[in-house]
Amino acid sequence: MNDETPPDRGTGAWLRSGLPWIWLTAGTVSFSLIMVFGLLILITLRGMGHFWPQGVVELTLDSGERVLGERSDSETVPAARVRGLGIEVPEGQELVDRYLIKTGNRDVTGSDFRWVTALHVTETRHPESVFVAEREEWGNFYGFVEGIEENGEAVAVGGDPWPEIAARMERTQALRERIEHIEKDRMGSVNYELEHLRLRTRELELENAPADHPGYAEVAADRAALDARYEALAAELGTLYEQIGRDTLIARTTTGEVRKLSFAKLVRVFQPNAMGLGAKLVHYLDKAAEFVADEPREANTEGGVFPAIFGTVLMVLLMSVFVTPFGVIAAVYLREYAQQGTLTRIIRIAVNNLAGVPSVVYGVFGLGFFVYFIGGSLDALFYPEALPAPTFGTPGLLWSSLTLALLTVPVVIVATEEGLSRIPRSIREGSLALGATKAETLWRTVLPMATPAMMTGLILAVARAAGEVAPLMMVGVVKLAPSLPLDGNFPFLHLDRKFMHLGFHIYDVGFQSPNVEAARPLVYATSLLLVIIIITLNLAAITIRNRLREKYNAAEA
Amino acid sequence: MALSNLPHHISHQFDKELEDIRSKVLAMGGLVEDHLQKVLDSFAKGDFETAEYVAVNDYKVNALEVEIDSDCTEILLRRQPAAGDLRLVVAVSKTITDLERIGDEAEKIARLILNVGNPAALRNYYVGMLAMGHHVRRMLRAALDAFARMDSQAALRVAQEDRDIDSETDVIMRHLITYMMEDPRSITPVLDAVLSLRALERIGDHAHNICENVIYLVEGKDVRHVALEQVKQELEASHAENS
Amino acid sequence: MTADADGAEKQAQAGLTHGVGAQALREGTPRARAEAPATCLEVRKLNLYYGDKRALNDINMTIPEKQVTAFIGPSGCGKSTLLRCFNRMNDLIDDVHIDGEILLEGQNIYARGINVAQLRRRVGMVFQKPNPFPKSVYENVAYGLRIQGVNSRRVLDKAVERALRGAALWEEVKDRVHDNALGLSGGQQQRLVIARAIAVEPEVLLLDEPASALDPISTLKIEELIYELKTDYTIVIVTHNMQQAARVSDYTAFMYMGDLIEFGETRTLFTTPRRKQTEDYITGRYG
Repeated sequence: MNDETPPDRGTGAWLRSGLPWIWLTAGTVSFSLIMVFGLLILITLRGMGHFWPQGVVELTLDSGERVLGERSDSETVPAARVRGLGIEVPEGQELVDRYLIKTGNRDVTGSDFRWVTALHVTETRHPESVFVAEREEWGNFYGFVEGIEENGEAVAVGGDPWPEIAARMERTQALRERIEHIEKDRMGSVNYELEHLRLRTRELELENAPADHPGYAEVAADRAALDARYEALAAELGTLYEQIGRDTLIARTTTGEVRKLSFAKLVRVFQPNAMGLGAKLVHYLDKAAEFVADEPREANTEGGVFPAIFGTVLMVLLMSVFVTPFGVIAAVYLREYAQQGTLTRIIRIAVNNLAGVPSVVYGVFGLGFFVYFIGGSLDALFYPEALPAPTFGTPGLLWSSLTLALLTVPVVIVATEEGLSRIPRSIREGSLALGATKAETLWRTVLPMATPAMMTGLILAVARAAGEVAPLMMVGVVKLAPSLPLDGNFPFLHLDRKFMHLGFHIYDVGFQSPNVEAARPLVYATSLLLVIIIITLNLAAITIRNRLREKYNAAEA
Repeated sequence: MALSNLPHHISHQFDKELEDIRSKVLAMGGLVEDHLQKVLDSFAKGDFETAEYVAVNDYKVNALEVEIDSDCTEILLRRQPAAGDLRLVVAVSKTITDLERIGDEAEKIARLILNVGNPAALRNYYVGMLAMGHHVRRMLRAALDAFARMDSQAALRVAQEDRDIDSETDVIMRHLITYMMEDPRSITPVLDAVLSLRALERIGDHAHNICENVIYLVEGKDVRHVALEQVKQELEASHAENS
Repeated sequence: MTADADGAEKQAQAGLTHGVGAQALREGTPRARAEAPATCLEVRKLNLYYGDKRALNDINMTIPEKQVTAFIGPSGCGKSTLLRCFNRMNDLIDDVHIDGEILLEGQNIYARGINVAQLRRRVGMVFQKPNPFPKSVYENVAYGLRIQGVNSRRVLDKAVERALRGAALWEEVKDRVHDNALGLSGGQQQRLVIARAIAVEPEVLLLDEPASALDPISTLKIEELIYELKTDYTIVIVTHNMQQAARVSDYTAFMYMGDLIEFGETRTLFTTPRRKQTEDYITGRYG
């Protein structure tokens, strides 16, 4: 302790010490981290929880009414609000607890959800025998098994109907797969070929071919063959449909109504209250796999999002294919060849500002320029037989990719230019001094060394493009695409087709679906999936970039 | 292009080191000159004590030579001098060798004097050398002056005097030979005197060498074994060219 | 004595017939000058401007063949600029204007219709900082040849080994010629860059402060290499290190503020410079 030093205390000293500054900066970083992780954790919890089988409760109300369903939410509201809804609440009670019960059975009650005030509940039970049926139509069914019918006749099931139900579900499942195969793949390809024949005929007509042109005969022959194939498939399909409609599940709701549920319309039947942890886990994984790998049902609110995942990834990949060469070449010209001066500076500023233009504007531009102008011209030139139905003159995958490529090209240009400018002069000079021309130097030395920067640009572009929704709504994304843009019919990649996109799917399910409440968990799950896909795309790109960087790092340092 | 005209080195320490060896050389020169003077005094006055002093004090000259030599080595090592600096160090290194030899010659003469042991003989045989001795001493002094002032013209003039010394030596030598021819008993002391004469002549040669070193130092020209007239012409030519 | 004998010996090594007579002319001048060897590069009235600023003033000099010529001078004196004129590296800088001529074996390299890439194959260059490409050692050395369209594995293998041996690097890297060149040490990288330059068999090798970024041992290796390369190439070296210039070069040019102040044999310039500016610079005085 030195007596001579003045006591260094108080707020002033604390401020002078610089500590507040450290606190402020560190606090800001922490806040950002908390926000980001909070977001991710929220989405993860809500999204992942969606597939976990909820227990089903049976509530008996004081009116004697019984409500069966999953408790999906609970809240405390002022009593006045509940009274306003015509529900009796004793005087003096200020607050009321109420539950949101997912009752399902939309075909019976007309709605999926119902609020129940806790006060009126006299009994809460978790009946073991209750079952949930996920259906292709009308949402979930909650109730109890009464029996099974085969071709309208009751089947003896003994004490436990579940093994029988499981066996019949399996059979139905197998039949459904066959039906799907026939409908989508085989009949689809027949239809595709028929469409081709139609276009071929139209083409011949446009060419003013004489009526005895051999083309007509060929078309007619082909059409006859296809028609025959189609007939055969239709017949096969008919029998399958007959077979699949054989079994019916007789079920009773909690209010005692009996419903016949055709097995053909059931996706999944399970007894949540009777399930152990293992069974729940299996159920969970099954649902999650369905979500990722299957197609959506019921206005996108049920089933999977596979077409959307596929569309998103394919669109992003296509965009990368377009944007990388374009951006890199533009950057090479700007940095290496263009005379550095006012003009290049203006161009650079313009490019940077282009990155700041709202994406919707790009959507409008894409629609006007790509779809109507270029697409329309392409149709007139190459697909006159299909007119007035547009081929490329309508929103589609190609235009979406190009629009996003345009949207992200500034990022790639800027990053590539940055990378090119970071390549030491000495390396270029070293190459030139060996008698290489400028082009040889660029091609053999500079560009390979700039690849990490290009990858950085691409990473940023992918991150931006994968999350864009607004412009896509105008240039190619649809709520429900009838077929994937990649299939077994030549030319396999159909750039003219519309496609589904996870971002748009979120918007559509979250705000446009008939049953917003039921779809909310799905929105979280889809968001989580979108985040995971973007992270995966980025990680892949980052890994490649780091490999490249490792290869060239010493030179960049 | 005298060294003193040059601006200072960026390293003042280096300036100091170079100045140091220069002044040490001059101090060594002063010491050697003093020894020569004392030897000449001892001729003139028949004073054996002075000769004795010179004979026992030569170690000081030797010590200075060793010291300056090691300073030069150190400068070469540390500074890697170039151009004028390099020439200075080289010239100093050569000059101190010459000075040390001069010191040795002076010591030799002093010992020869002590050998004589007889003031009469000293007067007889040595006084004749006195004038030449003084000439040699002046020459040495002038050479050291030229070194101190970095004056190549003066150095050239001094170098030319070496010829006079040589001719004076011849005269005295003949003189001494007559002594020996006159009286065979004088042969031993006269031979000593001849050796002393030879030593004085060598001192003149060393002074001449010092002048050559000065010319090398100042002009960067190695004038050893070159006719002095030619050196003179060249110096004049190069001065005309530079100015 | 050593400087003289060394010089003569080196010239004898270089196979120059006139080197033998170097010591003969002892009379007349204090130091006999060797007969001037054949001229490789001749600079005539060269002026270089950066925009309006004149960076080189009326340079006239001849650079002898198969000798080492060093350019020394304070920073910004134009020595690197002059060096870069010899392979037209200054063309890369906007706003540079050059008049005058540089003759490479009698041909003006600034004449119209000169193929600059071709010129740079004849006049190789090594830079201050080792700048190997981020490729394998092999590909670095083969780079110049590949540019010339040589792709035969056999030819390249031979050329790479020859160049690496020429740059005294072969023994150190022969087991890892396919490893990334950036894994080599600084000194090895610089010798690799020299190997890369000599792989295309140039006539002239320009070295722009080749050892300034290296440690003393690596520097000595580079200097040793310069002695050896002199047999086959005309070498022009820019260096900040005067001792290095004195060690490696046969001729030295002192430049100051864009002027060529003095140019002559290294031993003369370093012992008896004719100009006071040179003396001031090489002895480390203000000026």
